[in-house]
Amino acid sequence: MKIAVCLRRVPDTTAKIVIGPSGTVIDETGVKFVPNPYDEYALEAAIALKERAGSGETVVVALGPDNVQETLRTALAMGMDRAVHLQGAASADGLENARVLADHLRGGSYDLLLFGKLAVDDYGQQTGAMVAELLELPCATAVTHLAIEGGRAKVEREVEGGVEAASCALPAVFTCDKGLNNPRLPSLKGIMAAKKKPLDITPVTVAAGRVTVVSLALPPERAAGRIVGEGAAAVPALMQILTNDAKVL
Amino acid sequence: MGTVLPVRHQAPLPANMICTDAPSDEAIELDVLIVGGGPAGLSCAIQLARSAPELTIGVLEKAGSLGEHSLSGAVINPSALRALFPDLHDQDFPLRQPVSGEAVYYLTPTGSLRIPTPPTMKNHGNYTASLCELVRWLGEQAEALGVNVFPGFPAESLLVNGQRVIGVRTTAGGLDRERQPTDVYQVPTDLTAKVVVLAEGTRGPLGQAWREWQQVGSDNPQLFALGVKEVWDVARPLDRVIHTMGWPLPFDAFGGSWCYPLGPQQVSIGLVAGLDYKDASFDVHESLQRMKLHPLFRGLLEGGTLLEWGAKTIPEGGYYALPHRLSGDGLMMIGDTAGFVDVPSLKGIHYAMESGMLAAATIAAALQRGGGDAASLASYDQAVRGSRIVRDMHKTRNMRLAFHGGFVSGVVQAGLMTLTGGAFPGGRIAMPADVDAPRRVEPPETFVPDNVLTFSKVDAVFKSGNATRDTIPSHLVVGPDITGDVADFYAHLCPAGVYEREGDGLRVNPPNCIDCKATDVVGPRWTPREGGSGPKYRLM
Amino acid sequence: MPNILAVLEVRGGALRKGANELVAAARRLADVNGETVDALVCGPASVAADGLGAAGADRVLQGTHADFAHYAPDGIAAVVAAIGAPYRAVMVAATATGKDLAPRLAARLNAPCAMDVTAVDLQGDAIRVVRPVYAGKALQTVDLRGLAVIAVRPGAYATVAPGRPGVAESVAVPSFTQRLAVEPVRGSDKGSLDVAEARVVIAGGRGLGDPKHFALLEDLAAAFGGEAAVGASRAVVDAGWAEHGAQVGQTGKTVAPELYIAIGISGAIQHLAGMRTAKVIVAVNRDKDAPIFKVADYGIVGDLFDVVPALTAAVKTAKAH
Repeated sequence: MKIAVCLRRVPDTTAKIVIGPSGTVIDETGVKFVPNPYDEYALEAAIALKERAGSGETVVVALGPDNVQETLRTALAMGMDRAVHLQGAASADGLENARVLADHLRGGSYDLLLFGKLAVDDYGQQTGAMVAELLELPCATAVTHLAIEGGRAKVEREVEGGVEAASCALPAVFTCDKGLNNPRLPSLKGIMAAKKKPLDITPVTVAAGRVTVVSLALPPERAAGRIVGEGAAAVPALMQILTNDAKVL
Repeated sequence: MGTVLPVRHQAPLPANMICTDAPSDEAIELDVLIVGGGPAGLSCAIQLARSAPELTIGVLEKAGSLGEHSLSGAVINPSALRALFPDLHDQDFPLRQPVSGEAVYYLTPTGSLRIPTPPTMKNHGNYTASLCELVRWLGEQAEALGVNVFPGFPAESLLVNGQRVIGVRTTAGGLDRERQPTDVYQVPTDLTAKVVVLAEGTRGPLGQAWREWQQVGSDNPQLFALGVKEVWDVARPLDRVIHTMGWPLPFDAFGGSWCYPLGPQQVSIGLVAGLDYKDASFDVHESLQRMKLHPLFRGLLEGGTLLEWGAKTIPEGGYYALPHRLSGDGLMMIGDTAGFVDVPSLKGIHYAMESGMLAAATIAAALQRGGGDAASLASYDQAVRGSRIVRDMHKTRNMRLAFHGGFVSGVVQAGLMTLTGGAFPGGRIAMPADVDAPRRVEPPETFVPDNVLTFSKVDAVFKSGNATRDTIPSHLVVGPDITGDVADFYAHLCPAGVYEREGDGLRVNPPNCIDCKATDVVGPRWTPREGGSGPKYRLM
Repeated sequence: MPNILAVLEVRGGALRKGANELVAAARRLADVNGETVDALVCGPASVAADGLGAAGADRVLQGTHADFAHYAPDGIAAVVAAIGAPYRAVMVAATATGKDLAPRLAARLNAPCAMDVTAVDLQGDAIRVVRPVYAGKALQTVDLRGLAVIAVRPGAYATVAPGRPGVAESVAVPSFTQRLAVEPVRGSDKGSLDVAEARVVIAGGRGLGDPKHFALLEDLAAAFGGEAAVGASRAVVDAGWAEHGAQVGQTGKTVAPELYIAIGISGAIQHLAGMRTAKVIVAVNRDKDAPIFKVADYGIVGDLFDVVPALTAAVKTAKAH
């Protein structure tokens, strides 16, 4: 079983978002960066599948500037076997990033390519499925259950109003959702071992693509609310508002 | 009105902190293990990695990442940074700005009287800084030198063999409220080392346990103060460093406030009070909230935004509270754990760093000769006693102590001490421990935050970044005979809303805890908990 | 002339709700330059799609294939790959299925893709979209040049008048390999709705005074008929009045329902962090100075034991119509 996980480095979800001077990206001053939480489900799945299989290799791949190496080390500390840094600036066009990842992963003889279902910075939600299409591999996104048996994968994903099960032959691509597993934290031994695990650097060039970020802005402040009235007597007025103005009933 | 005597309600230190179990077969073997990744521990690691690159050095830090539990005013004396990085210039250090002016005020509820800056408080040549930022930067330097930095791993107990400290055991992770393992359970890890350096910071539990076990006393008990701090984004820059005395502290409490510029857009503001205060209803957090509405500060903060909030205790006992021994068999204490804070100058960071560097020199020499035994580490004691750390602390040895009798007599005595270079009054002013100071039970003043300039404790804790798992087991050990009055005392003492009075009893909300250690000094004991718990300071 | 293709979601041989909304979003974009909207419907047989014309579709393209009995991403992608290239934009609803499909279509069409779009417009030749990023803590505006795939967040567009002809046509389904075999959706086996998924969240705080009063909230949630879940503040979860899974806030769940009703919740920042992106916030609290009223769109000051039963009755009446 050879498994690759594609990993993103993102600001901590609790970070306060401040728009940078360019007006198109956040101000990263003082912001803590972490492995993308959804990618941690993918890492945990990869490590656990290999543990269960008793053999194989788990490879973590990240595209980006040099600071992604720190994130790759965290994945190695969790238990991934080796890391690949595709060194280059990612594009705002997810398809271009997917091309670079697909080019690298093609020919890697992977049985399984895992992604997080989304990265909590740009919420792009596309890389995994695009890589699958580019490699002409079966794919399911946002899986909450994943089992491998006899060269086939069985997955489940949550859709509006229910659960959708699917299956396919390997190799395959899956993007991982919350609920798939509980990612392990790196152990002290893992952190020590990670320092000695291979981290290969491959320079890549990502095409600019056809997406331009025009602006990044904080959402408008909520308009000041109002007190509809006091006590049960105010309920009819509230219902009127919810039905006719807010249209949420 | 009654009295609360804190010592009657305090539990002893948990016994498991000195652990005689043989280290696990899986133990990680290091040459030197530093417990605590603050300025002291990281300076020790950096100096040691440079002078003895062949050593395997590990730094355990309880915060989820470096700096997230570090808090200080801070005005930093850059001398230790210069000594540790002789090839760098001041502008290379992660400091915010040089101190360009300073003012000291005596506050009344509505007025302020500018008073001459006491000589000990002059800050010309120093820099304002965020300690979190400094610690993160020091961590990068240490890692670049090959030091193994392990954030998210609190040390729970010292592993000992006979009288010798041989390592530590980390806390377990992933336990539920009943201490049962969940599916993300993390087994405790043992680490062994030839030398364990305790750099736990203020009121370190292992330092306390080791001293109790080895019966290492001090002339006076260590005294502590609690500081509550906020960082604000402000519309106009502050042009000077401000310190105040007097209001909003009660007359019989020792302490004061600060307000420092952190570059053109931010200020640090905070209030410190000695934990020997006499009024059980006194509340440092609420006092700071009131203080921000004082004319001296209100104009500065209005239109601004609270960015971050935090709190921490400070060891204030000074020279006479220093442990009689700073090292032993396999163990050394550096920084705040040892109490290297000079209260009159409000400085500790550069002493912490310097003590770490002195420890590094001793360790390098000792390990070259093959030992980490008590005799080979004792030269650290001599080095510290001959350093300016102890020299400076000796000069001001009675100054904080003089304030135990109240503010006015304290000011007069402190003035005489400065004039005489510490010789007045001769000898040592004996002090009771904070926990032995009785508290008057008084009805509290109610305070309603406006959520613009002033905030409740619950909201303040959010601003500390604390996102501790709600289902962690309690790490706080409550002592006996808790009455409603005691519960009220704890509720006011704790700045983070961990304690609430419920009827005549006490309700504890452990996830709120931001590791300030205030109640460990005069109330419920603090013990190490799951790694990464507590605050996530970025600006403190 | 470049046009808009709206790819609609079919489940169990029928259009999913939200089809009209997506067509309306496509219509709005098409109207900027007087273009046309084609709605693509892929089912096992011809799918009833009479309303799509009224919603704004010029043509309704029906692709039929036995494999379209349930979601067949490889098949739909094959259809769109065959017919999509001439369009200006391909639009899908950003549902679980739409988000699964959109990047596949983009890769097949060699087009950029924007997810969870809340506003779409033309800017010169480019399509300009606005989309929430950083968990809704910021809004990103991006331009996509050339043919683009746009996944529109449900709830972002109201249906528009006047209608269009909605001429039904069939579209050829090219042969395709079903790489992924998808089974029919089975109903959620979860007993009750999760706060993070519910359209309406009724949340209670310490103001309830006693755990047994949560029944009042459950009654109100029930009045919404299966689309509401009961949430709780951290204080009451800590007190053991509610399960941790129901906790809304920084250390609990982050929710963004259409309607959030906070009952007896004072509004600590830690709680607000988990619900402030709700579309409409209603607060009921006895204390008129409670911070929750600062973030609530609509508030009622009063005793929740009077207000909540009255609200429950009113919602029941409204839902009965």
